[in-house]
Amino acid sequence: MTVLEAVSLTKRFGPVTAVDGVSFSVGEGEIVGLLGPNGAGKTTTLHMVLGLTTPDTGTVRMFGRDLAKHRTWALSRVNFAASYVSLPWVLRVDEILDVFAHMYGLRHPHRRVVEVTEMLELGELRDQRYGQLSSGQQTRVQLAKALLNEPGLLVLDEPTANLDPDVGDRIRELLLREAHRTGRAMLITSHNMPEVERMCSRIHFVSGGQIVATGSAVELAGAYGVDDLEAVFLRVARG
Amino acid sequence: MSALLLDGPAARRRRIASVIRRDFFALRRDPPRMVDMAFWPTAELVLWGLVSLYLQQNKVHIAVAMLLGAVLLWQVLHRAQGEVTFGFLFDVWSRNLLNVFVSPLSTLEYIAGLLLASVVKVAVTIGVMSVLAFTFYGFGLLTIGPGLLPFMAVLMVMGWALGVVAIACVIRFGQSAQVIAFILVFVFQPFAAVFYPLSVLPGPARAIAALVPASHVFEGMRSVLAGGGVSWSGLAVAALLDLVYVAGALAFLLYSLRYARLKGKLSRFGS
Repeated sequence: MTVLEAVSLTKRFGPVTAVDGVSFSVGEGEIVGLLGPNGAGKTTTLHMVLGLTTPDTGTVRMFGRDLAKHRTWALSRVNFAASYVSLPWVLRVDEILDVFAHMYGLRHPHRRVVEVTEMLELGELRDQRYGQLSSGQQTRVQLAKALLNEPGLLVLDEPTANLDPDVGDRIRELLLREAHRTGRAMLITSHNMPEVERMCSRIHFVSGGQIVATGSAVELAGAYGVDDLEAVFLRVARG
Repeated sequence: MSALLLDGPAARRRRIASVIRRDFFALRRDPPRMVDMAFWPTAELVLWGLVSLYLQQNKVHIAVAMLLGAVLLWQVLHRAQGEVTFGFLFDVWSRNLLNVFVSPLSTLEYIAGLLLASVVKVAVTIGVMSVLAFTFYGFGLLTIGPGLLPFMAVLMVMGWALGVVAIACVIRFGQSAQVIAFILVFVFQPFAAVFYPLSVLPGPARAIAALVPASHVFEGMRSVLAGGGVSWSGLAVAALLDLVYVAGALAFLLYSLRYARLKGKLSRFGS
């Protein structure tokens, strides 16, 4: 089943074409990466997928339905976390999760908050204010929020940016474990090449607002005649 | 998935409840905000109460009740606008707005949550002020009579409309427009004729005041406190104007959101 289908997405901001005819899909249980240099159009693409930005042309279908026409239905089944988005600093961890459990219309919000608190090992932090947590702990809370509704599609924009390697590794482990357990699809952007190699079964390289290469990490390295994804990235970024 | 998620009206109610819960959790964790709910209105009440006592002692023909009634009712309008706008700005300042806009919460559900939360907070503010007005100056809000609740309702709805306009301005023009949240209600204050009768306004200003719902309320309040009855026709005009204000505010908000999504401005609230 196709969880996400983006068709010919184009977005211009004045004279700048940020995204130029991008099409891709994400299947059930698939983890897809969007890679590219800064300003390539990755975040704009993600924001069009999430309905934050309206494409000039093109369509987004989620779980077979047009996002523009079935926004509430589709967004109930999706969730999002990004390194540049925060959560209310004055609220406690359990209060934040309670608020979002209600916001996603969960049938048993309190039960689900307890489940994700245990899953993300947030028990000891639940009565602490979000603003008092370390970066790694804040990322765990953001992921707990993003897993509350058991999303069929999890959209992550640079989820482990600003984290030390140890915490980053734990977060990746958790995401992979959860993806395998639930068959969840994920769409990820990252500048961390080992992370993308480890997590993504399919990678789209974006440059100048267009997808310029697609494949697994091994396929891409082979196609460009280099050893790893980082070398592919440098080739693409430097033209 | 359906076992996990509610749908239909039950889901809608739960989503609206999320905004109210967020507002009250934030209030509980933010003592300065709690103090703010009562401090400024109380300071204003004390100031105007003393001014009116001084004027009365100096034989200036003015009723203490008229000034205190005006201060109290003005707070309904002022706080209703403020609570709605600052509920939204809380999400902007805490960089949480993108989380809200990628959730299934619709724009109207979000606004409904902010409005409902404001009812409780305005009620608390007015409750505290009423007790103080009675204790210090012997002025009971109930002297306004049967018009009191309709007066408050008209002012509350006008405050909501201004609050929604301020939110729409921030979405349309960006965070620098948040200054509008602080001044918008004061743009209307001279035309609302809070502390003086409409007759003192010059002709053109009086014409504008006729289009401000609050002016009919304050004029009505003065009439009641001067011994006249409630002008139900004036209240009906105010209620109709409220409807126009609310419709205009919602239309502006929806336009601003569409514009922000089209120009990619909504994304910038995350950075």
